[in-house]
Amino acid sequence: MADLESQSQKLRALIADFIQGRLATKLEKLAADDPKYALLTAQYQYDAWLESAARRVGQIQSVTHTLKAIHPDAKGSNLYVSPGTLTAHPLLGSHDLAGGFQADVVGNAAALDVYKFLKLTDERGNTLLELALADDAALKAALSKDATEAEQWLAAFASLLGSDGALASHPQAKQIYWLTGEDPGNDLHYQVLAPLYASSLAHEVFTRINQHRFGEEAKAAREARRNGHFHETGYCDYPNLAVQKLGGTKPQNISQLNSERGGNNYLLASLPPSWDTSLLSPPLKTDSVFKRFGRRPAVRQTVKALQGFLKAEPPKNLRTRETRFSLTSTLVDELLQFGAEFWELSPGWSQHPDCRLVEEEIFWLDPYRAKSDLDFAERRQQADWPQQIRERFANWLNAQLHKAGLPVGDPEFAQWQKEVKLDDDWRHWLKHLQQELDQLQKELSHD
Amino acid sequence: MTNSPETGLLVVPRIKVQNANCISSPMTWGFPAITAFTGLMTALERKTHGHIGLQFLSVGVICHHFEAQVTQGGYTRAFRLTRNPVDKDGSTAAIVEEGRAHLEITLVFGVAGQGMAADPQHYAQMAQYCADTLATMRVAGGSVLPAKPGTRAFYQKPQLVSLGDSAEARHKIFRTLSRQWLPGFALVCRDDLLQARLEELQQTNPAASRLDAWLDLSSLQIKPLQQQGTDKVQWQARRPPGWLVPIPVGFGALSDPYEPGQVANARDPRVPFRFVESLYSIGQWLSPHRLEGHQQLLWYPVTLPGEGLYRCLNEFTVETSHI
Repeated sequence: MADLESQSQKLRALIADFIQGRLATKLEKLAADDPKYALLTAQYQYDAWLESAARRVGQIQSVTHTLKAIHPDAKGSNLYVSPGTLTAHPLLGSHDLAGGFQADVVGNAAALDVYKFLKLTDERGNTLLELALADDAALKAALSKDATEAEQWLAAFASLLGSDGALASHPQAKQIYWLTGEDPGNDLHYQVLAPLYASSLAHEVFTRINQHRFGEEAKAAREARRNGHFHETGYCDYPNLAVQKLGGTKPQNISQLNSERGGNNYLLASLPPSWDTSLLSPPLKTDSVFKRFGRRPAVRQTVKALQGFLKAEPPKNLRTRETRFSLTSTLVDELLQFGAEFWELSPGWSQHPDCRLVEEEIFWLDPYRAKSDLDFAERRQQADWPQQIRERFANWLNAQLHKAGLPVGDPEFAQWQKEVKLDDDWRHWLKHLQQELDQLQKELSHD
Repeated sequence: MTNSPETGLLVVPRIKVQNANCISSPMTWGFPAITAFTGLMTALERKTHGHIGLQFLSVGVICHHFEAQVTQGGYTRAFRLTRNPVDKDGSTAAIVEEGRAHLEITLVFGVAGQGMAADPQHYAQMAQYCADTLATMRVAGGSVLPAKPGTRAFYQKPQLVSLGDSAEARHKIFRTLSRQWLPGFALVCRDDLLQARLEELQQTNPAASRLDAWLDLSSLQIKPLQQQGTDKVQWQARRPPGWLVPIPVGFGALSDPYEPGQVANARDPRVPFRFVESLYSIGQWLSPHRLEGHQQLLWYPVTLPGEGLYRCLNEFTVETSHI
């Protein structure tokens, strides 16, 4: 009993401190004879403030999924769904926060001080909200000497997690028809899905990305790089990260967490690889496009990675092999893409007097010329240009590896395999490369 | 799942879309969500079914051109916004940031049904009918523009092709088609990589979560490399091989389904209503000639109401798991 009494006293002191603290900031700018001064002092009396807080708590709600982030004019249900209660499945969703998360608050921003109050933590590490939810006797005793009043207030505070009445959506909310039955023509074979904004999850993502951008460790790593020093872990970037502003100049109207982020929300990029067709010009005054191919950023990066990879003699495991195969395949992919990009030019571009490309490259890069130039069509038909392009590619790749001091010489690699007693790992890669080249030839010859 | 149910492919090549929605979910931007295309597929079937009797089962998308309306430079991108009209009563409308992008895409629909039994001579007409209908619709919120004369898009016609009975025939048809989709990139699903990275991370940190794995696969790792025998340090940016991107793939339930009419202001009081959230996975952009068959390209909308999952599934991994 004495224990309860002392707990209760400690909680009372905690609450009184909180209220005094808020009053002090309010009074800071006021003169002592300002009529507002007395008014505020009265409002921030212990009982008076708690009574108002218990009344105002109905204006806010603690949630994990919000509606206003979808559209600020939407009025309807927000949800508190504890991540641990969601079905665990192999996709990323709020259920992945089961290890810990921060709840959001929506409602009247003028009542947010009540939320701050409920987040106060006692010496055992429980928030007042948790105590209220647990119907804690010490908190009850601390709130008011009047048992009925204390009971009411406690219940009011515990209602923060409850739903805000009848369930509703809104015309400005997203609502999607999803076919759940067999027949798309039947209006009744659908469900309406209403996506809410996963506020707790988005906040966690925001916090992590900010940690990676501005955290102490990231800063140290970036500085080490600038100075050419070593760093234990390195750092990471999020290419083309976008910032979406929610709530305009009033982020607090969306939610508490949105307000803490200053209305900023990070969106990760799922951009497709892209080329700028406006930069694409016919390859004139050169006899081969392979130089231009090698200057493509993706190609340069991949070649560099491949050179580095082969030189570093990585461990002989599946992962290593897959990485290497993937790099080779990427180069062949790039070559096919690169070639196809020229097909976007107006057919017959290779008839320009400045075009000095070897003919097999013209056959490859300007195929539509055959529609109007019958001579060309016939020569193209008869030449084994896919095989020649394949060899040119193999030669080009050899040259790149050679530059890095790698022992690759013959374009077909066949000789190589005979002369040198290759270890398995290399043989595998060469075989794969050979397959890729065969594939390339097949792709090219398929008109 | 290799016995795919589609008996034909409907190809609508090189659709130019202006101002498509490029905010694909609350946590991703860029290419519109795949659900925008499965939704388009359902709408297209509803509009055309009475005329041509095609059943639409799945959809694949190849991106030829993508131009986002965003700011360049700096660490982060911001969306170029439009000035929206004022409210009915003349007051300013709430600011809702919308992301826009112009796209050029080829859509491939997996189809079946009695329409495929029509005389193949009519296939071209049927395909044209679908393409014309599609041109009147919104694609991911954007409008379809007609192709300019003299461009490749102008000469490429929509096609309906029968897949044929043998695996060999299907393979050959797909090969021929996929070459016409170059230059371009197809979007496929890599749930497997998300799972694999999660397991990998958990080897060193048992507390690692799927969120860690997802962020890891979405980022560029910049690490120092100590060169042997010297004190020179070389910094390298590393990305997992392949053009991997974080994507939304559908929705997960937050509540039980409510009976029709139980939720106020629902769009349709005749059908059940459910609160959901976006779910995410990893996607990969790859050149269409890399695909071994149409199943690897196509996305199927799948519903598992018991588990509260409404998602799009692509069989890319299923097909290549032997590699």
